[in-house]
Amino acid sequence: MKIGIPRALNYYNYYPFWHGFFSELGVELVLSDRTTKSLVSSGSALVVSETCLPVKVYVGHVLNLLDKGIDVIYSPSIQSIAPKVYNCSKLRGLPDLIRNVVNKNFLLIEPTLDKSESNQGFYQYLYESVAPLGITNKKLIKQASKAGWECMNNFSVMTRAGVDVPTAMRNAINGNISFDSSQKEGMAKVAVISHGYNLFDDQVSMKMLKKLNQLDIEAYTSYNLTVEQMDQGIKNLDTLLYWANEHEMTGAAGYYLKDDNIDGLITLTAFGCGPDSLMIERITRYAKRFNKPLLNLTTDEHTGEAGFVTRIEAFTDMLIRKKRTSIVNSLKKQVVNKEEEKKLVGVE
Amino acid sequence: MKIAFPHMGRLYIALSAAIRILGGEVVVPPYNNKRTLELGSLNSPEAVCFPYKLILGNYMEAIENGADALLMIDSPGICRLGQYSSSLRTTLSDLGYDVKFINFDLYKGKLKELYVKFKEATGNANPITLIKAINMAILIINMLDDIDKVLSYYRARELNPGDTDKRYYRGLREIEAALSYKKALKAKKNTIEYIKSTPIDPEKDIVTVDLVGEVYVVLDQFSNLDVEKELGRLGVHVNRQINLSDWVKSSIMPSALRFGETHEEKARKSAKSFLKRDVGGDAIESVGDVALAGKEHSADGVVHLLPFTCMPEIVAQNILPNVRSEEDIPVLSLVLDEHMGKAGYITRLEAFVDLLRRRKRKSALAAVAS
Repeated sequence: MKIGIPRALNYYNYYPFWHGFFSELGVELVLSDRTTKSLVSSGSALVVSETCLPVKVYVGHVLNLLDKGIDVIYSPSIQSIAPKVYNCSKLRGLPDLIRNVVNKNFLLIEPTLDKSESNQGFYQYLYESVAPLGITNKKLIKQASKAGWECMNNFSVMTRAGVDVPTAMRNAINGNISFDSSQKEGMAKVAVISHGYNLFDDQVSMKMLKKLNQLDIEAYTSYNLTVEQMDQGIKNLDTLLYWANEHEMTGAAGYYLKDDNIDGLITLTAFGCGPDSLMIERITRYAKRFNKPLLNLTTDEHTGEAGFVTRIEAFTDMLIRKKRTSIVNSLKKQVVNKEEEKKLVGVE
Repeated sequence: MKIAFPHMGRLYIALSAAIRILGGEVVVPPYNNKRTLELGSLNSPEAVCFPYKLILGNYMEAIENGADALLMIDSPGICRLGQYSSSLRTTLSDLGYDVKFINFDLYKGKLKELYVKFKEATGNANPITLIKAINMAILIINMLDDIDKVLSYYRARELNPGDTDKRYYRGLREIEAALSYKKALKAKKNTIEYIKSTPIDPEKDIVTVDLVGEVYVVLDQFSNLDVEKELGRLGVHVNRQINLSDWVKSSIMPSALRFGETHEEKARKSAKSFLKRDVGGDAIESVGDVALAGKEHSADGVVHLLPFTCMPEIVAQNILPNVRSEEDIPVLSLVLDEHMGKAGYITRLEAFVDLLRRRKRKSALAAVAS
């Protein structure tokens, strides 16, 4: 049994879980290829132009899987992750959108997770995930979910220890745990605030993390934080959890804005993202209040790489200069203090 | 306390009547205009939806006019609307305004929350007056929708363009002034009489169009460049499918007090084969209304309005081409934002109406031939 999983959107949040869960039940997962320019344009051709980039990318990945000859596609609708905490409409209606715009013959597995409804909880979601494949033994499904969580937890433990996400994903899927962090000490520390599906998709983010690394900058993301830390972050910005994926944005930003080790923040959002528009607004206003440098970057399928790099370089240059000035100033202060001390004590 | 609230079409008439009955002081900000939009856009994030910008503009103009308490609605699971008030509050405090926010928090309950918040806003704790005020608001909302239905019929058939609207606005002023049920009902009767006195051509060959989409832009004449009037001028009988009275019925009234199937439930049923789940906002109603119009042949075409970057409606907009081909009904989706130009907008409406006319004629000919 083979099912196809588009390498887009919630793949970046839940894939380790899906891997553990489906493997335990003997289902083989096939991933779509990595995002390319032509994949994005094949996706954009099917949806209206106002649709946000991540959804266009997602449609492209579905087409890629179908081209590969996979005719069972797994596309869950994550409606809400806690009572009255809902997801963005486009993610809620993802399978509906796919069903209506992709005019091909295939089986769409479309489970719904809605914690705001009493009968649409987690086990129901898992049941709907595998029932179309003929697996209906609820006990077996429950057991498999444990394997899923094990894989997911291994992944989270590694990312929180500072292992970069692609490596952690690879290790978790192979059943390894390794804490070899490739992060070396840099000249400044920057927190990159973005959804996983934007940041770790090399086509969308234009390999931003790698670029920061080349500029000798340490980059931190929401994957390095625990849920408790991100809850604290949301509190820091005087708000409540509203969106299902708000932890990645407001939570991480709130935490890093108050973190003295972090020199500045970069936000990366896709053009037309609804939840981000208000989350970034809040982050920007609070960055001003907390006096923390912030760079807002928006990307879409037309963004040129050169302009992108220039802005990141200018921002990190500014951070490094600011840091250097503050070190020089504190050294000067020390010298002045020593001279004053000498005068007071009267040693000359 | 001087209370203000944002505009949405003619909602201000109902809300200010309710607050005045309670003895509160109302500051109605100037109706949405270019300046409102400019003030709002200047202080809003670029990619936020169109209604947010207008509401922020309304608040700023209301504060300029002396308001010191702002009403807003908080509702879970809809879309960005649920975050409006918290984001607006941050923005207004960054701008240096010190005002009180009164949130109707539909997280907590429906009628009770309405009661508690009206009490907080006006200081009037008399439950009988409060119930009277809420009833009055609901009465006016229902009344305006009834009047709009008559208006739409006469506007499409009027002999002299603009005649019906003149009479309609005369009636509106009477409704605005009414402060009791009796006077309001009288004003309603008068308004309908005024409209019915418009000289019309009842035999005129008209086309019918259903108007669906996101509730704010459908109901707000400034945001949709008064699409109903423009279509009426082109000889189109517009049936607006999104009405405030329906919203009141499904969102405010407790389910025990409801009679019959609400519009939302009906739309949900017919949307089922295209959109299985609620994705927030009015998306499921948009899809359902188009499917229904196609199935029941109740309209010649559908105009679908949405604000730029509206998340639920983008899902609907993506699904509509499929509905259009399966149910064989023409749909025109119009995206609205602050950069909308009137000339291009009207050209598109004219082209759409031409298409509907030709289609109607063709099918009439086919019917005759067979």
